[in-house]
Amino acid sequence: MNRYIRQITLPQVGLSGQQKLMESKVLVIGAGGLGCAVLPYLAAAGIGKIGIIDGDKIEESNLHRQVLYSSEQIGLQKAKEASKSISRNNPNVEILVFEEYLTSKNAPQILQEFDLIIDATDNLFVRYVINDTCVELGKPFVYGSIHQFQGQVSVFNYQEGPNYRDIFPQENQSAPNCAEAGVLGTTVGLIGMLQANEAIKIILEIGDVLSGKLLIYDLLSNSQQVFEFGKVPTRKKSDISPSFEMIASEDVFLGKVLLLDVREFGELPEIQLENLLQIPLSILAQKQENLDKEKEYIIFCQSGGRSLKAAQFLSEKGFQKLKLIRGGAKELIQATKNEKSIS
Amino acid sequence: MIQVKYFGVIAEAANRDSENIVEENVTLSKILSDLSSRYNLGEYNFQIAVNRKIVSNYSDEKLSNGDEIAFLPPFSGG
Repeated sequence: MNRYIRQITLPQVGLSGQQKLMESKVLVIGAGGLGCAVLPYLAAAGIGKIGIIDGDKIEESNLHRQVLYSSEQIGLQKAKEASKSISRNNPNVEILVFEEYLTSKNAPQILQEFDLIIDATDNLFVRYVINDTCVELGKPFVYGSIHQFQGQVSVFNYQEGPNYRDIFPQENQSAPNCAEAGVLGTTVGLIGMLQANEAIKIILEIGDVLSGKLLIYDLLSNSQQVFEFGKVPTRKKSDISPSFEMIASEDVFLGKVLLLDVREFGELPEIQLENLLQIPLSILAQKQENLDKEKEYIIFCQSGGRSLKAAQFLSEKGFQKLKLIRGGAKELIQATKNEKSIS
Repeated sequence: MIQVKYFGVIAEAANRDSENIVEENVTLSKILSDLSSRYNLGEYNFQIAVNRKIVSNYSDEKLSNGDEIAFLPPFSGG
């Protein structure tokens, strides 16, 4: 217990608090910028069991903000390397590594093993999967996300409190910016730290948890603002019908389908499939005559924003059979690899 | 005077973080539709908070002098 003596000394923690930390099971979804801030502090604090899920590999352009990784780890799996890094600090923590992306298919099984979920993803579609699974399983989740120098933090589904859909009900209305926006390491670091802090407060049952409150932190002005929200009782899950069907990337291989990649030429990961057509969103208006209105198209981009815009545009032009891939290009390439290894 | 605050992509679209609007006897929905057309916010997803409380239905709620409105879009970076 000497390891934790300086936090046990706090009257709000004590031996009983340390016991709570050591008995808790926390899943961190995403081992990117936010995850790299969340994970070491949870491990160092003595959380009993930590799950890390991420299907991504370390890239050079990650290193300025994903500080758990070093240059010689480029190309290696994030989840595994993050696990190694945090167990060097605290070998007492049991770590479960999931080298895959979270999808609506694997989510219930993975989430049910944990008491508390931390959303450290950079993907709006996955956020709805996390939200809906947490609501289904009755688990709280700590949300964090950033936009340039601003960050949002909140705790959803905590003690039957409101969830993400009570603020942003419909995934198909979301317009994330697919193109990788700029970010400073300190921004994700600080927001991730706030997430870890909320997680520890929830486990210790101390302080005011950000349930029903959306914190917006602006790092340029150093201002913090808290916006309150409640449950929206009239909004049932069944009322939310996205106008475009979202399909899981692995379902792309069922039957004969046409894939439409609306990313700009040269964006990574590059995907080459026989049934794939690439028309960047920026030139879709000029090139739409290359598409057949009678055919079904499954559209994707990097993480969902441009594919939605493309679908809305084509729908206005009379295309009726349009679907979107949940998770975008990165999940599709993962599914492509899985498919190849099966067949 | 009503203070309007913009966050995330909405601040980029409006090209400002905040502004003050001098109007008497104005409703929330009127201000929203004015700002939405001025900054072309139609394609964005956002929620509105009045005096730091997120409002789910924009009724004919009248705004008073000193009220603060905030445009809150979802963030997606991480």
